[in-house]
Amino acid sequence: MNSRVAGGAPNGSGIGLRSPHVDEIGSTRPDVGWLEVHAENYMGGGPGIRALERIRRDHPVSIHGVGLSLGSAEGLDDRHLERLAALVERLEPALVSEHLSWSVTGGAYLNHLLPLPYTLEPLALVSRHVDRVQQRLGRQVLIENPSSYLRFTDSPIPGSDFLIALARRTGCGLLFDVNNVYVSCRNLGGDAAAYLDAVDPAAVGEIHLAGHAVNEADGHTVLIDDHGSRVTQAVWDLYGHALTRFGPVPTLIEWDTDVPALAVLLEEAARAAAMLRIAEREGGDVHAA
Amino acid sequence: MSTLRELQSGFRAAMLGGDAGAAAAAVQSDGLGVDARLAIYRHHVLTSLTTALEATFPVVVRLVDPRFFRYAADRFVREHPPTGPCLSEYGAALPDFLARFEPSRHLAYLPDVARLEWAMNVALHAPDAAPVPPEALREPAPLALHPSLTLLQSPWPIDTIWHASQPEAGDDTVDLDAGGVHLQIWRSTDDVVFRRLSAAAFAFHRALAHTACLDAAAQAALSIAPDADLPSLIRDLLADQALVHRPAP
Repeated sequence: MNSRVAGGAPNGSGIGLRSPHVDEIGSTRPDVGWLEVHAENYMGGGPGIRALERIRRDHPVSIHGVGLSLGSAEGLDDRHLERLAALVERLEPALVSEHLSWSVTGGAYLNHLLPLPYTLEPLALVSRHVDRVQQRLGRQVLIENPSSYLRFTDSPIPGSDFLIALARRTGCGLLFDVNNVYVSCRNLGGDAAAYLDAVDPAAVGEIHLAGHAVNEADGHTVLIDDHGSRVTQAVWDLYGHALTRFGPVPTLIEWDTDVPALAVLLEEAARAAAMLRIAEREGGDVHAA
Repeated sequence: MSTLRELQSGFRAAMLGGDAGAAAAAVQSDGLGVDARLAIYRHHVLTSLTTALEATFPVVVRLVDPRFFRYAADRFVREHPPTGPCLSEYGAALPDFLARFEPSRHLAYLPDVARLEWAMNVALHAPDAAPVPPEALREPAPLALHPSLTLLQSPWPIDTIWHASQPEAGDDTVDLDAGGVHLQIWRSTDDVVFRRLSAAAFAFHRALAHTACLDAAAQAALSIAPDADLPSLIRDLLADQALVHRPAP
């Protein structure tokens, strides 16, 4: 599951690079395929970005943006796009990704991947924004499906169709977050496997896996995509289904709250890597252990 | 039917504690109610931004008690949401907010402690810049202070308060009447540090920052202290690696 070509294509499974692990990864150079960072954590100077530049010599890096707000009706923040472009130029990442969501309105950044209604207006808007981002960066970006806790009354296009249309219009790839599909389908009713089957395998350039919390609200069970625990068995099962359909797509373990010891993330990444190897060897059905 | 812009504006109100009616009207009610669904998003917005502020202002958190800080931060976030997505750049307005915030106004030193923590945060994320080597001063060139450097004056001993509020500090009490400080906060290689300056050194640095000129800075220092030791002021700046060439405009 290892590839040691900085800037090369990511290979196998990777983990999100989180600040408590930076020193350990720099000194132990763990056997992990690649690392992903949030773009917005590295837009200043100082020791953070320098440590990342050192780590990048040992591991391919993927840049995952959370702040472009591709679905904002008021347009893209040009200054932020320029900062992202400068970071991409500096790190030459293997992959660049962002989200199908919005966070900015009236000049306020709400620090959440907020939902879009799936109608033609947002489809045209997000397509224009993805075009601009890809043009500015001079490369393809991957767009991630969000997790949802509500459905808009006027949202006639299924989420999978919206993403497929976006990929067709812009040539962007898809970052398929298996946990997000699972969480959304459990929260809103929907068939996760059918969602997955609707996606064009050729468009999928990366997979995300993460844990979620199970909460009770007013007598209803709500799954919260908090990236704060191990991947659940149901999501591993859905991941097996995804690999059967998509083939061995580079897969990332995300963990953002209550970040555990690095060894736990590496265990999760090893589990994904074992399934990826089956997908690569057999090119057929992959089942979670 | 509302436009996307109207929908997003309504969402902002719902997230930041304003009228949630416009957002709620656009959301389907099935099973779990609309308000509870919007509350999931609101909870994330407010708690994630509060967590970001806690990371930037850990000493303020300890000084006021973590629960009080979360209460104040919640109010701050609603009034002053971030204007950009880099959370390390969020919180510049918190010191002024704390100065106005009625429940903590009796802690007169608190805003300046917050200013110290903000300056340390700025220092950590500031761009890199190569320090001027001593021999380069033989040639006149426009100078600047390191981009990580902040000059901060306070009527309170905020550096002592900061040290006494570190987790490893003992139970020593701080004498709030010990007098004010002139501080220089900056990043030296990878470490954020601060130290006291004399009033003359503070004037020297401030004039240098404004004019880029050593002669003008010397005049400013001498106007505060006619016997100021100018060579040592320059030596200290060089030793702190805090002097850089002014970047081309």
